Amino acid sequence: MSETTRKQEAVVEPTIFELSSPGRRGYRFPPLDVPEIDPVEVFGESQVRSVEPAFPELTEPEVVRHFTRLAEMNHHVDRGFYPLGSCTMKYNPKVNEDVAGLPGFTRLHPEVDEVHSQGALALMHGLARHLAAISGMDEVSLQPPAGASGELAGMLIVRAYHTDRGNPRSKVIVPDSAHGTNPASLTLAGYEAQEIKSDSSGRVDVDELRRLVDSETAAIMITNPNTLGVFESRISEIVEIVHGVGGLVYMDGANLNALMGIVRPGDIGFDLMHFNLHKTFSSPHGGGGPGSGPIGVTSELADYLPYPVISRDEAKSRGIEYYFDYERPRSIGKVHGVYGNFLVMVKAYSYILTLGPVGLRRVAENALLNANYLQRKLEAYYELPYKGYCQHEFVLSASRQKEHGVRALDVAKRLLDFGVHSPTIYFPLIVGEALMIEPTETESKRSLDHFVSVMIEIARESESDPDVVRGAPSRTPVGRLDEVRASKDLDVSWRQD
Amino acid sequence: MPYIPNTDEDRREMLREIGATSFDDLIADIPRELRLEGSLDIPGPLSELELTRHMQHLAAMNRVPDDVLSFLGGGIYDHATAAAVGSITGLPHFYTAYTPYQAEVSQGTLQAIYEFQSLITRLTGFDVANASLYDGATAGAEAVLMATAISRRKRVLVSSTVNPALRSVLKTYLRATDLELVEIPSASGVTDVAALETELENAGAVLVQHPNFFGLLEPVDRIGRIVGESGAPLIASVDPISLALLKPPSEYGATIAIGEAQSLGVAVAFGGPLLGFIAAARKHARRMPGRIIGATTDAEGRRGYVMTLQTREQHIRREKATSNICTNQGLVALAATVQMSLLGRRGLNELALQVAAKSRYAAEQLSKVRGISLKFEGSFFREFVIELPFEAGTAKAALSEAGIWPGIKCGCYYSDMPNCLLVSVTERHSREDIDSLVSGLEAIIVSRDA
Amino acid sequence: MSKRDLRFTESHEWLKVEGTEALIGLTDYAQGELGDIVFVELPSAGTHVSAGDVLTTVESVKSVSEVYAPVAGDVVEANAALEDSPDLINSDPYGEGWMVRVKLEDVSSVDQLMTADDYEERTKG
Repeated sequence: MSETTRKQEAVVEPTIFELSSPGRRGYRFPPLDVPEIDPVEVFGESQVRSVEPAFPELTEPEVVRHFTRLAEMNHHVDRGFYPLGSCTMKYNPKVNEDVAGLPGFTRLHPEVDEVHSQGALALMHGLARHLAAISGMDEVSLQPPAGASGELAGMLIVRAYHTDRGNPRSKVIVPDSAHGTNPASLTLAGYEAQEIKSDSSGRVDVDELRRLVDSETAAIMITNPNTLGVFESRISEIVEIVHGVGGLVYMDGANLNALMGIVRPGDIGFDLMHFNLHKTFSSPHGGGGPGSGPIGVTSELADYLPYPVISRDEAKSRGIEYYFDYERPRSIGKVHGVYGNFLVMVKAYSYILTLGPVGLRRVAENALLNANYLQRKLEAYYELPYKGYCQHEFVLSASRQKEHGVRALDVAKRLLDFGVHSPTIYFPLIVGEALMIEPTETESKRSLDHFVSVMIEIARESESDPDVVRGAPSRTPVGRLDEVRASKDLDVSWRQD
Repeated sequence: MPYIPNTDEDRREMLREIGATSFDDLIADIPRELRLEGSLDIPGPLSELELTRHMQHLAAMNRVPDDVLSFLGGGIYDHATAAAVGSITGLPHFYTAYTPYQAEVSQGTLQAIYEFQSLITRLTGFDVANASLYDGATAGAEAVLMATAISRRKRVLVSSTVNPALRSVLKTYLRATDLELVEIPSASGVTDVAALETELENAGAVLVQHPNFFGLLEPVDRIGRIVGESGAPLIASVDPISLALLKPPSEYGATIAIGEAQSLGVAVAFGGPLLGFIAAARKHARRMPGRIIGATTDAEGRRGYVMTLQTREQHIRREKATSNICTNQGLVALAATVQMSLLGRRGLNELALQVAAKSRYAAEQLSKVRGISLKFEGSFFREFVIELPFEAGTAKAALSEAGIWPGIKCGCYYSDMPNCLLVSVTERHSREDIDSLVSGLEAIIVSRDA
Repeated sequence: MSKRDLRFTESHEWLKVEGTEALIGLTDYAQGELGDIVFVELPSAGTHVSAGDVLTTVESVKSVSEVYAPVAGDVVEANAALEDSPDLINSDPYGEGWMVRVKLEDVSSVDQLMTADDYEERTKG
């Protein structure tokens, strides 16, 4: 493949501030139809600001062009393959966006009386019920606005449960392959993280777990399948050990895509879990949000869920069928200012109804099939530290390439030159030079084959022409950026020089 | 399956390549007794037509403005959003992208967020803003954790005039910490400064809202002065639109500014997704929660953007991170950035002036009605509290029949205000709308007197 | 300064005795492994540390590393120059890049630390 150089003119888009010209504006209001006010007179001299905020001044076409040009610098799921491990970058169905844009949803104010929000409440109640059916949990709260928020809610529920039994306990066990949010969330819930090593198969070391647990063990947080893409096949023993000392078993649901219709976490002993609607249930990631991280629990823990809980009264004794239940004295409280990321819930609900029970099982099957296919095709070219069939994702190591001076980062950057997004790199932490690959079920065999050919090409280049790989990317709007400079000469807000 | 490209033939071929005889081989690691028997108990599948019909039916069960005249606010406001906002946030380049982990192919997202940060610093007067937080309430909780990390003191003073939702969330976040939450009472609708002063000794953080939940301007100069003398960091929860007119938090001694920016181009959407923001002085940047985007250059000197100061965050620092947050509100921050860019300097100013003028007109007209009084005397922005001669819920129910929602019942949040309504006005309300509210309330009072 | 005058730890700190006080820093090997150092969080004077306590943290762009106290003592001063120029640890680890000066609790405790030869042997493989 011949190298084309980056087109200079296609590169730097000025900031919106640099595009500004005094006197322009991009939006007009109707003329004021009430008496004007003088801020100084109304608010008092001391309350009023002396200099207006230095906002840019542009017309609508200028603003639209600026952001459209910025848009074109992004890689995105609609454009091409996005195999970021643990992020489940599946296709985001368009109908979900359409229905989430219905004015009956977008213009609904959260303070309306329940009689005026029955459609929204029915949807939320339905989604919670469907998530419970998918996970085998008894009750679900949709309130946490992201996965990490769900984890925090979950850990606070763990704490409330133990506190009610006389001792909040002090430790939560997390595998060394866990997402960073797990230890961060449990710390915020007042617990100490106790790391447990993975065994040679990439699973929780059950013997080690037996040694670790004691009467101070509040819970274990397990991602299943874990971040190596391995199912924790000894989960029943793990559950037994932790329950044996009175602890709870929490599931990080980031990888639920692998399980739908195959295994229900609630059936295999998990006491509580969070979902990531923006991963498993196809709501778009939006360049890093908004997400939604509902939390599901067994009936024993239901009293601790964030309030308000959406309840149903089929008899309509108060004239309405769905209502907010605020009378939850043992609730951990609110984790979001309102009810959570409602529009994300709308999309997840649409997705579940579109696929139905057979479709969701098909999702999991094809996610596994695609991952295993890639793993099989790539293991001859990249080191595969954990052998055997994987679940929805797998982790390669660029250790062979490192012998030629090419690191996981370089492989990742070179992929960008071929129009493919890189896998998650350097995670999980227990694999050196990790390349964590999750294709998802929405990729075709053709797209997987293309990825395989690119990965093989990069493996070859790493031996024959490692400088090309180390110098990548060369076809993107910018080259590798100086992160040391970004950190040292902190520039996080545009200033006129 | 509309979203799964593999055909049966593809599947057979792929299994063959994998070396498996059936799909069951792939899940051999899952003990049989753990597997689900039968299928999931959920409805579906629905075709696009069936789904759309069902969703339209649900949406139609909700009542929204245009069918009704609404003065609901309380932190979430039904402002007009420019048409161009939806056309930008509807670009798949933005909404189907992930967190900008690979900066070279995420410059669009990164620069847009850098511009969001820049706009927030311009509003608040601080040097550093992050890439957004879930909402104003969680931003308040994160700010308290940040402030107490700066002060290393444990007492957190929160004014009772701060939005009740924020105070609820804060309480949850502090449940498991050793921080002590102290509520400062109000006097005449604003923070009781004398009461605050008596609690300041050894305070680790002070949180006030300005304008506060009742729409009233707080005596921020006095608060800033006495809190500053105590050494406690002051957190100001602010309304970004009000900052077109009001002094920025950096000028009255705040250490951290937070707030809810939903009012800038984001739908009310039953309360989510919202858009929290946080800003502070540069020296506190390393204590900030959440993502921060920074500008830098590539090897050829081209300007570009990256996620910076990442060592604060959970994916690197794990249990010692400044916060557990990972996801921010990327697309929502983009919406606000586009809206703020379209408004521009003059538009933002005009928006704030219209909101101020219309809310003032509404308050003046309402207070002329016999039986209605303004609960508080101080100057306000956007929202104000009226007191009726009877329980506010009665008025609300009666007016609802006429298609008017006059405001939020204060009694839901403040038990000593059963007859009060919090009325919120935006630029969407015409003089005629406001006059309808006034005559509607007047009619109810008259009918009760009769 | 000559590396001969220094003592070393398994966790890659160096220590140089000056009377009853000692300078502590990060070894050349460690700075090479960490890459560009962009931030150092320094302890305040008067802080007491026992051997093995976290003395400071140093950050590269994508890692945070803890620097441990090789021996017990009280922090006398931290190298303020590192606040603006943390890269001194990269460019001159045994000189301008020193991190902390401590008052030793027990001067003889230093004897347990590795010599330059021991440390070199240790970091060879």
